[in-house]
Amino acid sequence: MSAPTPALVRIARVRHPLGMLLALLVLVWAWFVIDAPIDNRQGVIQKILYVHPPLAYGAYLGFVLTAVGGALYLWKQRAIYDQLAVAGAEVGVVFCTLMMVTGPIWAKGTWGHWWTWDPRLTLTLLLWFVYLAYLLLRSFTEGSERTARFAAVYGVAGTALIPLNYFVIELAGGRSVHPENLARGSLGAGMGWPFAIANVAAFTAFVWLVALRWEVEARRASAAERAG
Amino acid sequence: MSYAIAAYVITVGTLAAYAWMLARERRRLERGDP
Repeated sequence: MSAPTPALVRIARVRHPLGMLLALLVLVWAWFVIDAPIDNRQGVIQKILYVHPPLAYGAYLGFVLTAVGGALYLWKQRAIYDQLAVAGAEVGVVFCTLMMVTGPIWAKGTWGHWWTWDPRLTLTLLLWFVYLAYLLLRSFTEGSERTARFAAVYGVAGTALIPLNYFVIELAGGRSVHPENLARGSLGAGMGWPFAIANVAAFTAFVWLVALRWEVEARRASAAERAG
Repeated sequence: MSYAIAAYVITVGTLAAYAWMLARERRRLERGDP
């Protein structure tokens, strides 16, 4: 059995209470989703609102974490920050993939088709490809310091796509079929709390998964070091 | 209705499977298995 490093102990300390909080939040989230009012125009399918945008925010957060980890790695040259960047990218890609699955399901039920080359959808696909490429790069060239430096620069540059992806609907000036970004008061009566709980649950799941993935990456690096 | 249920089942199922896979990998590394 391998001895945990201080960094692993700190990560695990965050993960355990978060896991318990997450289990509770999932139940609360399920209750709020079931109890949320049914939209007059869209019907039950509108309840995808309580899963699709929170997944998008999680994906953004994962990619921002990749940039933060990469920038810290370039600055401090400590492997733990590079490992955080990898964890952020992988969890971000998982959230982004699920966002790109739930979005077309919602689109099929409301627009009548799974996909359209709308500016938001197209940029989201590009964002997904950019971070999928990041993960492929990391998996093909494991453990090299040069790769970590290149990946850090790539991860920092990749975040330029995030504000573009978020504001593209406004930038497209009415040409986008995707609904506008949610703003205060834009949700129907009784939908605010379920949406808030959904975001808290998704954020907790995100942090818990990143902590777990970060620990796995750190343990893999320790094992590779010991193997020589 | 079935579209909304499918979205939730896919999301929760995938995240649970991903967490289970990570937890299994973490335990394997903790044990020091090859």
